[in-house]
Parts: sequence; structure tokens; C-alpha cells
Amino acid sequence: MTSYVVRRLVSLVPVLLWITILSFGIIHLAPGKPTDLAMQFNPRVSLEARERLTRLYGLDQPLHRQYLDWLHRVIRLDFGRSFLDDRPVIEKILERLPVTVMINLLSLGLVLVIAIPLGVLAAVRPHSLFDRATTVVVFLGYSMPSFWLALLLMAAFSVTLRWFPVSGLLSLAFAHVEFWDLIQHPLTHLAAWQDVAWHLVLPVTVTAFVSLAGLSRYTRSSMIEVLKQDYIRTARAKGLSERHVLFKHGLRNGLLPILTILGLSLPDLIGGSVISETIFSVPGMGRLFYEAVMARDYPVVMALVTIGSIFTMLGNFLADLAYAYADPRIRLSRETSP
Amino acid sequence: MNKLARWGLLVITALAVVAVAAPWLSPHDPLAVNLPEALLPPSPRHWLGTDQLGRDVLSRLIWGSRISLSIGFIAVGVAVSVGTVVGALAGYFGGWFDSVLMRLVDTLLSIPTIFLLLAIIAVDPAERLLVFTTYPVIGPFTTLLFQWIDPRLVVLMAAIGLMSWMGVARLIRAEVLSLKTREFVLAAYCLGASQWRIITKHILPNAIGPVLVSATLGVGGAILTESVLSYLGLGVQPPTPSWGNILNEGRVALGVAWWLTLSPGLCILVTVLAFNLAGEGIRERLLR
Repeated sequence: MTSYVVRRLVSLVPVLLWITILSFGIIHLAPGKPTDLAMQFNPRVSLEARERLTRLYGLDQPLHRQYLDWLHRVIRLDFGRSFLDDRPVIEKILERLPVTVMINLLSLGLVLVIAIPLGVLAAVRPHSLFDRATTVVVFLGYSMPSFWLALLLMAAFSVTLRWFPVSGLLSLAFAHVEFWDLIQHPLTHLAAWQDVAWHLVLPVTVTAFVSLAGLSRYTRSSMIEVLKQDYIRTARAKGLSERHVLFKHGLRNGLLPILTILGLSLPDLIGGSVISETIFSVPGMGRLFYEAVMARDYPVVMALVTIGSIFTMLGNFLADLAYAYADPRIRLSRETSP
Repeated sequence: MNKLARWGLLVITALAVVAVAAPWLSPHDPLAVNLPEALLPPSPRHWLGTDQLGRDVLSRLIWGSRISLSIGFIAVGVAVSVGTVVGALAGYFGGWFDSVLMRLVDTLLSIPTIFLLLAIIAVDPAERLLVFTTYPVIGPFTTLLFQWIDPRLVVLMAAIGLMSWMGVARLIRAEVLSLKTREFVLAAYCLGASQWRIITKHILPNAIGPVLVSATLGVGGAILTESVLSYLGLGVQPPTPSWGNILNEGRVALGVAWWLTLSPGLCILVTVLAFNLAGEGIRERLLR
């Protein structure tokens, strides 16, 4: 098992290198220069000052040189400084990371808790009324633009009914509280946490509803296959309770393909943050990315693409490990094979 | 084919008719600004109301269907072409060639799509496409093309397509791997057929089923992607109407004019739903 883990982790490194080369290339093809933005605030800046700035950021170097410099620093976790406000990129990201991770974990949890039972129950009686009803709901969720759903929910629940706040993460009353403080001292900030929870209801609901569809569909089709197997008939013949048959014997086998899907859906989850965070003005990584792209803040964009991809790859890796853990046949065959 | 899938195909056909017949169907000029009639609620004169500039929403939606559907179909066309070529080559030739191409696929799948799309579109490569109009031979053709469609639209379609070919490549590769060991392929090989002929005449026609399914689902996905990009201000640029940017322009007036947000969203929802149901129907049909 250990050698398998190590081998998999090592094989992630070239992929990561490719990702950084690819995104570095794309972002540096942009016609606009980051120094343009600095110039806009002060149009009378002299040519020498502009050149000094270009040199300072290393933008006068050839592209491969810039990339190697960047890589050299990143290995030591130094992502450089933001072109916009000159703060270290890693600091900007770290203050936004927990928000995005929290929202995504919450919606992932919600999706798992809802989608898997829905899929299993639909698979027990395919083409029944329940199955058809869930299929319709699930397909609707799959087919609508998530930001449209967000707008409608906002209009209904925040503007008209005033149940939930329209946007943001904290009310004005808690504007002075830092999010890291909330995490480090949850007990002293109970009221603030309550406020955060209030603000998160709509974003989490939207994120979860949209990704519910895929997972419950896959659970359904995978469970339909599993429930046809002989060992399910055996389990029923032994007189096991239906609950036991479905969730112990059925689901454990049916979950295998779902793990892979879950790993593959991570990039969408991270990407989805861009949309939900912009629409609900949640100060997370997604919105940071959008702002950075718009301002051509290369260091921030590169850092976010790299970190987003690392998360994705780790997710896939964990899915593979869980796969091996859940299915002894895979674990054993990998251990015995050279 | 089940009932839902038939319904989906019917909707798709109807939409195609609407898109083609847009000049005759739309009651008003979709671009005509008429400020005195701004933000009117739905009425017999303007069935779906008017927007901030007094333009008729129904007419804009009808003309927008052209743009949105073309984006869907062309982006999928790009994705299927690239995916088929990459998947077929990787599957047929195997070895290190296969490994390199599939690592590329893995790499692209590991980057959140929206990140790459945003980066590509924010780079705004449209200006650079204009270079092609100065080249000999292809110059006049590209000039004609860009008179007909905005280069930025070309970039948008290509970008969406280039972000979604990886799934098709994997599907085709898997099909090719299993097909290339079948007897009829070996027979063709023994009869001295060229590799090109074996791939295009014997293998690919047999691998078309799963591709058809993922292409159908892909059209819906591309339309959704366009709407998301429009929401971020990077989709089809106004005043050209697309469902995405009508929705985005309506967003600002959500509090006072709900019809501006509701109708384009419903158009997207119904269309994408139709493509998804049709795709599922085709999949079930193939499995049987």
C-alpha cells in the first residue's frame, strides 16, 4: 500500500508541472501588461518609472526565464507579491482559503447526504413514481445556470421575504472580525458564527443543488446494476433485512464508481466557487481569482490555478485511495503485482 | 426512445426552427432602442416586456437563440473533432504516443475549467485573429468570415470547445482500444487496408454511439458555459443578444423588472433540459 501511495504521489508531479507551464503561457500571452494598470492611476508617470517597474517585476526577462524564476520561488512556497496591492500572494490567498474550503465542504456534505439516499431509493424501484419525480428534479438542477437559480432565490428569500441576507459573509455589525479569528476562537465568536451561518444558507444551497444531479444519477445507475447481482439475491435469501441488503451489501459495491465521479467533480466544485462567490459577494478564492484575472494580477492568478489544481489532484488521489480501501480486490492485486 | 427524450427532440427541433426563422418570427427589432418604453412589464404589445433600453425582450430572445444555439453546436463540433482525432490516434497507435496524449488529457482535466476559460478569454486573443485576414490565400476567406461573425465570438466558441474535448478523447480511445482487436479490423489489415482506411472506415463508424451521447449532452453544457461567462461579463458582447447576456443585463434590474431575469433563464433551462433528456434517451437506446 505504501509503495502504491508514494508512486501515485510522484506521478502527480509531472502533471502539476504541465499545468503550471500551460497556465503560465496562457496568462502571459495577454496583450495588456500589469504595469498598464499602475499607469492608469497616474498617467504622467515617466517612461523610466515604467521601465523600472517592469524590471522590478522581471517582466523584461524572456518568458522561460520568468517561468523558471517563478517555479524556483514556488518550490519554497513563495508565490511573489500581488501587482495590485503589493501584499504577499500567499497571505491574500490564506485569508480567503478557509471561506472557500468551508463552503465547498458544507455543500459536498449536503450533496452526499441527499444524493446517495435519493439514488439508492430511486434504484430500488426503477421507473416508479418516486424515481421519475427525483429524475425530473435532478435534471432540472442539472440544466439550469447556477447563477440564475441564485438570483431567483435571492429575489425571493432575501429581497421579498427578507429571510436571509442578500450577500457577503458577515453583517456590518461584525465587520471588524477577521475570519481567521473566527476559526481560531470559535467559542468567543458564537454570535459571529451564527451570522456567518445565516449568510451561508443560500450559497451552500445553490452550490449543492447544482451538483446534486450528477451524483444521484450515478448512484442510481450504479445501484441498479449492483442490485441485479447474485449476491444481493443471496443476501435476501438469507433473510437479511432490506435495509441491511441495500446499504451494507448493495451500497458498498455501488459506491465504487461514485468515488471516482466524486474525485472528478472536484474541479467543478472549485470552479463553481468563482460564480457563487461573485454573485453572493463572498470573499473567497473564487472571487479573488475573478478579480485577479480582470486586473491581470499574474502572481495571484498563477498561484490560484496551481493551488486549485493541487486540490483537484489530491481529491482524485484520495478518491483512488478510498477506492482501493473499499474494494479489497484492487488493494490486493496492486500489492502483489510488481 | 422514451417519452421524455422524444419531448426533448421536439423542443430541439422547434428551437432550431425559431433560430432559422428569427427574422420572420420576431415582432420587433431586437436592437432598436426605445427609451420611452423602457422596463415595461409583459403586455399584448410586448409579450415578455422590455428591457432598460426599451428593447423588446421576446425579439431579443428569438434572435438570441441563434447565437446561443450556434455556440452550443459549434463548440461541441470543435470538442468532438479534437477529441476524436486525439482519442483515435492515442488508442490506435498506443505506446508512448498514447501516454503523452493521455497525460495531456489528465492535465487539462485537473485544472478547473472555468479558471482556464476565464484566463483564455480575459487574454482576449480576438485582435490577434485579425492577423489571418492579411495572409495570402486564406486572407479573403477570413475577412469574409469576420464580417459575418465577430472574431470575439469565434474565440468564445473555440475556447468553450477546446475546454471540453477531453471526455470525448477518453471515450473514443476506449472504444478504439477494444475495436482494434476485433476480427473485422484484423481482416481489413490482412487485406492490406491502409491505417488511415482502417481508422476512418472500420473503427470510427463503430465508435460513434457514445460520442453522439456525449455530444448531445455537450451542447447543453456549452450553452450553460456561455451563460456563465456572460454573467462574468466575458461572454457574447452586447448589443448582440445571447440568452446569457440578456440574463446578465436583466440581473441589474432584478428588483424592479423580474421578467428580464425570468424569461432568458427559462429559455436556457428548457433548452439545456431538452438536450440532456435527448442525450439520456439516446444512451438508453444504445445500451439496449
